[in-house]
Amino acid sequence: MTDATGGGRLVVDGLEKQYELDGAEVPVVKGVTFTIEPGTFTSLLGPSGCGKTTTLRCVAGLEHSNGGVISLDGNVLSTGTKHVSPDRRDIGMVFQNYAIWPHMTVLANAVFPLQVSAKRLPKQEARRRAMEALELVQLDAYAHRPATALSGGQQQRLALARALAHRPKLLLLDEPLSNLDAKLRDTMRHELRALQQRLGITALYVTHDQSEALSMSDRVAVMNQGRIVQEAAPRDLYYSPADRFVADFVGRVNMIPAVVRSRDDSGDALIEAFGSRMVTPCPPAIGTGADVTVTFRPESVRWHDSAPDRPNVLPARVARVEFLGEIVEYEAEVLHGETVVGTLVARGAPLRSPSSGSRIFLELDPTACRVLAA
Amino acid sequence: MRIATIIAGAVIFLLLAIPLAVQVITAFRGPFLPFGVSSAKWSVENFQTLWGLRDDFWAVLGSTAAFVGGSTVLSLLMAFGLAWVTVRTDAPMRRVISVLVVVPFIIPPIVKAQAYLLMLSPESGVLNQLLRLLPGDLVIDPYSFVTMTFIQALTNVTFPFLMIVPILTSMDGSLEESARVSGASWPKTLRRVTLPMLWPGLLGVAVLTFILGLGSLEIPLLFGQQSGKSIFALKLWSLISAGAGELPQYGLAAAWGCVFLVITTIAFVIYLRATRNAERRASISGKGFRPTVMKLGAWKIPVMVLVVVFVLLTAILPLFALLWSSITPYPIAFSFDALVTQTQFGSFGAVLADPEFWASLGRTLVIAGGSATIACVVATVLAYGIARGRRTGWSKAMDLFASSSVAIPAVIVGFAMFLTFMVINPVIPLAGTLVALVIAYSYRVSIAYRSGYSATLQIRMELEEAALVSGASPLQGFRKVVVPLLMPTVFAVWIQMFVLGTNEFTLPAFLATPETRPLSVYMYAMISPRSAQLYQPDQGAAMALIFTLLVFVIGYGLQWAVSLRAIGRAKRRRPLPGIGGTPVIEPDEPVSPDTRSVAAQDLADQRELAKR
Repeated sequence: MTDATGGGRLVVDGLEKQYELDGAEVPVVKGVTFTIEPGTFTSLLGPSGCGKTTTLRCVAGLEHSNGGVISLDGNVLSTGTKHVSPDRRDIGMVFQNYAIWPHMTVLANAVFPLQVSAKRLPKQEARRRAMEALELVQLDAYAHRPATALSGGQQQRLALARALAHRPKLLLLDEPLSNLDAKLRDTMRHELRALQQRLGITALYVTHDQSEALSMSDRVAVMNQGRIVQEAAPRDLYYSPADRFVADFVGRVNMIPAVVRSRDDSGDALIEAFGSRMVTPCPPAIGTGADVTVTFRPESVRWHDSAPDRPNVLPARVARVEFLGEIVEYEAEVLHGETVVGTLVARGAPLRSPSSGSRIFLELDPTACRVLAA
Repeated sequence: MRIATIIAGAVIFLLLAIPLAVQVITAFRGPFLPFGVSSAKWSVENFQTLWGLRDDFWAVLGSTAAFVGGSTVLSLLMAFGLAWVTVRTDAPMRRVISVLVVVPFIIPPIVKAQAYLLMLSPESGVLNQLLRLLPGDLVIDPYSFVTMTFIQALTNVTFPFLMIVPILTSMDGSLEESARVSGASWPKTLRRVTLPMLWPGLLGVAVLTFILGLGSLEIPLLFGQQSGKSIFALKLWSLISAGAGELPQYGLAAAWGCVFLVITTIAFVIYLRATRNAERRASISGKGFRPTVMKLGAWKIPVMVLVVVFVLLTAILPLFALLWSSITPYPIAFSFDALVTQTQFGSFGAVLADPEFWASLGRTLVIAGGSATIACVVATVLAYGIARGRRTGWSKAMDLFASSSVAIPAVIVGFAMFLTFMVINPVIPLAGTLVALVIAYSYRVSIAYRSGYSATLQIRMELEEAALVSGASPLQGFRKVVVPLLMPTVFAVWIQMFVLGTNEFTLPAFLATPETRPLSVYMYAMISPRSAQLYQPDQGAAMALIFTLLVFVIGYGLQWAVSLRAIGRAKRRRPLPGIGGTPVIEPDEPVSPDTRSVAAQDLADQRELAKR
């Protein structure tokens, strides 16, 4: 399997899914649309109950969708009425709890997809391919152990090997790292991404952990209440959130209310927040006089002992300092005269941090600020 | 899959519903059989007759209530005490005690009944001999009502014990600890916290013990005939085994059956409510905890004395009495003199040389094995279908129905099956065949159904879904993933039902003919003075011992064989994420409608379980 398996192009268009709960139809997925280009890695990111797992399960065929079209490489897998069963979709899937069959050996788990597929392989060939898949995840030495003798991380790898053994066009991953401890999770994250890129397989990954989504994906689709609110490359998502939900969900963020005072043609706007004037880039749709929210990341705030001679500086008092190891996080009360008009969270290097109660000046980098409609 | 579920459901429905329906119809249709005889017509005559004999009716009702109720309370007290000692105290040899309490489970009740009879014999009984050694003039009358009740309690104590142990084990000790920390003494904690918490669970156990007691014929048959008090099981049995020249009064017997069916239905409803409350109170937190252990201190000696007395009464003395009876030609009191001069071992040889012994043993194995297989296969298929299927009104009703066979006393099943085979005999001649016995024994499907249901819930949906996305068809997934994972449970239940089947006496007492009788009935013939030619008490005792040994060897042998495989696997096994209980590390994400098909299924199942 060292040769790239190649990936398929997944198109999900207007996916709808309702559940019946106590007699009522509860919509869970409301018209989700996205495309995954062959060989790329897309994450569905969102809070509990946003519909991301349901979307994944519809793609897998484990749920019958109520509407919309799912197709892989042009083959329609499901519409509201048509439903190709999961065993005919040419997919591999890794489950949250690994779903390793406890009554089989490691090899038997990995060879299973090759034994049951419609195009049945000769025994030797199936075995060879399963071993290859195990080699990919460095489990070939464990092939004849009972699957349950593996540690959590190894079971995770086995689940991956099993999902890849029959060289599917699409790999589906349902929060596969959430049961691992923090250290192992980081390692697996790198391995998973490296493997996906090496094989060139198309991957759809579901997670509620933004750092997983940001670090592994080519594209991230943030979901909320059954809809995709923004789909973008990780960097764009982080620095240009489409709305307050995305800004808030992906990483820590400061959101301050402001009013647009004037605009110029270059796309910058003069805004007023906390009684101070600031300059930030502003989307053209927002006109003068509009109430807006300015968002910026805690790490884009710099602090000074004395006011620098630059725009976008707010006077503040340090309310709380929290030492987190690699960084220091502090909460600052923004002052207008002597009254507190708001609070901001900022982050900085731990070696030089303000002390609690001291008066400081916060400088916001205009390029890191995003103006959103309030 | 769907079709298999429907077929299994239909089989269970027919198995339970038809006999009960036939019984009810018989109660309303004439004095004899409801169909095919000229006297059959719709009437309430049987109930009028029953009411006409109301002195008798009330007497039977009263003595049955006292007998079954009394023995239930007694065996619950004993079972709770023993379970408490083994689970919650620092008593020495707790494991040995729990084994000694459980071992009588495999002694057939009819053997136990006979052993007690021998042990209590006023002249030669070993217990009365022992009592004579004590000061005072104590002799136990084996045929008194109190003795009979007590014997029934001793015979059945294993059943509530096996059910109470897990309840006590799973109780969250921190709830008691917090009561203790709040300043409550041990007795006060027990009264204010422990018992109220356990109460619904114990009530459920009480109801099932009550139904078990109501349904068993052994003790009333051996003890009750002489006590002059008529117990329901005995009444039913004697109504259909009419003396010479009389017509059996099936209609009247069916009317009796209906009355008691109503009583057990009420009891079953209480049971359902009690267990639902038990779920609601949820003393089971699912975390790995050990229940706190009570230090016995000065109480250690009295507690151990009581335990020893119990083991003497339930295991050692009965077995000794059997052994003594088997080596003496007629009932004589034990003495060393008699041991030297009177004993002979011919009875064992005679039993082993008796072709009827081997024939009835063979039938026992066939009936027990056949019925256990039928019940396990059908119940497991249905349990899987219902546990995995959509919840509809039908599936809920079927679920309740398949769980309800515990609520039908064996004696009613025996009688209703007997009637049914008589009624269908012109069309399907099964009366008096081994097949009839196999079908009748299979009625205990609910044991297999309940186990199959919870075993299915333990297999996470993900394991099956993983097979599907790997390219397996639903049938392949079932065969390669579900079946192997359900197998250990099914085997364990099979063994349990097989042992129950070999022990069964009540059902064949109604259904077996001399040509089809299993060992338990043949043995009863040997020890019952009423069966003139066959009456050979020493051979009967020898047979009882051989029988017990065989059940022991077969039951434990099978269990050992299965556990060897299971242990061999478990040794190489770590805690399994995906099967049985919680994953190794809990997912960060709380259960949400998003992961619905897995999570909501689990939730719905829990809710369903809670309702039960």
